[in-house]
Amino acid sequence: MFLELDNVAVSYGKVSAVRGISMRVDEGRIVAIVGANGAGKSTTLRAISGIAPVKSGEIRFAGDRIDRMPAHRIVGRGIAHVPEGRRIFPDLTVAENLRTGAFLRRDKPAVEADLEAVYARFPRLRERRGQLAKTMSGGEQQMLAIGRALMAKPKLLLMDEPSMGLAPIIVEEIARIIEEISRDGVTVLLVEQNAELALDLADYAYVLEVGSVALEGPADELHDNDHVRAAYLGI
Amino acid sequence: MFDLLAQTGLNALYAASYISLVAVGLVLIFGVMGVVNFAHGELFMAGAYVVVALYAGGGAPFLLAVAAGLGFVGLLGLLMEFALFRPLRDNPLGGLVASIGFLMILQATAVMGFGVRMEHIPPVTQEVIAFSEKVRLPMSRLYVIVAAVVLLGALWYFLKRTRFGWALRASAQDAEAAALQGISIGQTARIAMFIGAGLAGVAGALTAPLVSVNPHMGHSVIVTAFIVIIVGGVGSLEGAVVASVAYAFVHTLVTTFWDGVIADIVGLSLMLVVLIVKPTGLFGTADRA
Repeated sequence: MFLELDNVAVSYGKVSAVRGISMRVDEGRIVAIVGANGAGKSTTLRAISGIAPVKSGEIRFAGDRIDRMPAHRIVGRGIAHVPEGRRIFPDLTVAENLRTGAFLRRDKPAVEADLEAVYARFPRLRERRGQLAKTMSGGEQQMLAIGRALMAKPKLLLMDEPSMGLAPIIVEEIARIIEEISRDGVTVLLVEQNAELALDLADYAYVLEVGSVALEGPADELHDNDHVRAAYLGI
Repeated sequence: MFDLLAQTGLNALYAASYISLVAVGLVLIFGVMGVVNFAHGELFMAGAYVVVALYAGGGAPFLLAVAAGLGFVGLLGLLMEFALFRPLRDNPLGGLVASIGFLMILQATAVMGFGVRMEHIPPVTQEVIAFSEKVRLPMSRLYVIVAAVVLLGALWYFLKRTRFGWALRASAQDAEAAALQGISIGQTARIAMFIGAGLAGVAGALTAPLVSVNPHMGHSVIVTAFIVIIVGGVGSLEGAVVASVAYAFVHTLVTTFWDGVIADIVGLSLMLVVLIVKPTGLFGTADRA
């Protein structure tokens, strides 16, 4: 089992955000988590990457328990997280942002090669590599956030609302990039409010409602599910 | 008149040197820890007392005493991180209050160890560079200027060109996002506290033979540093340096032509003007203020 969540609960103070979620992500897949605002999608990702405290339950990645590890050690295990709202470092340059993604890596030649690969994938980032990240458009910042995560050379990529606030044409580009990343062998766990996009891309999906898994199944099956169509696809 | 201006400029350059060392350390700690360190003036004082103990008292070479001042006060910074700021993480107000407590502990320790008297520190050198009859720069002041330029240059190199420097800036900008890159927030906090405190300590150590060293000397230093970082834009290291230079020139000029009390009033008024015209400070951005 690649990534496995076993009855995971997370609460912020007295407010419980995630109540006993179980999930599995197989290697090489794109798995989507869809649901309304406040359903616990982001919290689930934050629990996996160690920035939301897990109250109970277990998270296992590649055989090891990671739910008690600090965030900076989980990155070293091969999990990179593109956070909600991009969270790039505004006063670092584009190149510096990308290099912070490789903070834990000591294999210098491979880091340089991966930097080249990111620039090849996102030519805009190469053009703007000396520019402060905060001067870029929303779409460019999203690409920077994805590029930064790829610089960690992750086995599993967590993506939180990569389409948020972007123009439709940029969203299409982001979708294409996610497929490419997946084809390169990186497992993707994708959180999206845009259920149409998520179910299009994913092999398997979970539907969260108020902190619990309401539905799960192959993405195309969920796409045809009446409840999902009415509640999330607006059809 | 030209001589007087040139002499004032040299004096201001000296003042700007040690003020910027103190202010840059304060900004670094604020940026990474999110805490306003009220004990920063007392860290300066502690650095001066290291020179009192080792150089004036123990006969060690001055430069060694200054290096020890940097190291010792840097360790005090680590102690603050461990004992005060780590337990109070996510509680900036608590950190501020704890730093005021630490300020009092440091002052009391200095009083107990050395008494409230003013320390006499023998001059490091009596040499003076005379540019003309009236324009003179004592070597002891030149040392401070050179040391400040070297240290700030080294800090700049560290922050802009090294992996840990990026990590430090990244966690100052967004600690959680930094943790997601594998950067240990605990580690960057310790680095920031060691450097920030160490810079205050080295400034105190360098200037010890030139100022009156007493347990309460930190007070005026921290007031100046606060003015400077507010004018420069809280969170901006470049702003702190630029504002240090500007403040030192204005303050020294006014002191020379009127007197020190008027200079303090002018300095504070300048801060008010900057706050009215550009509330985020000269180099500040809205989200950091």
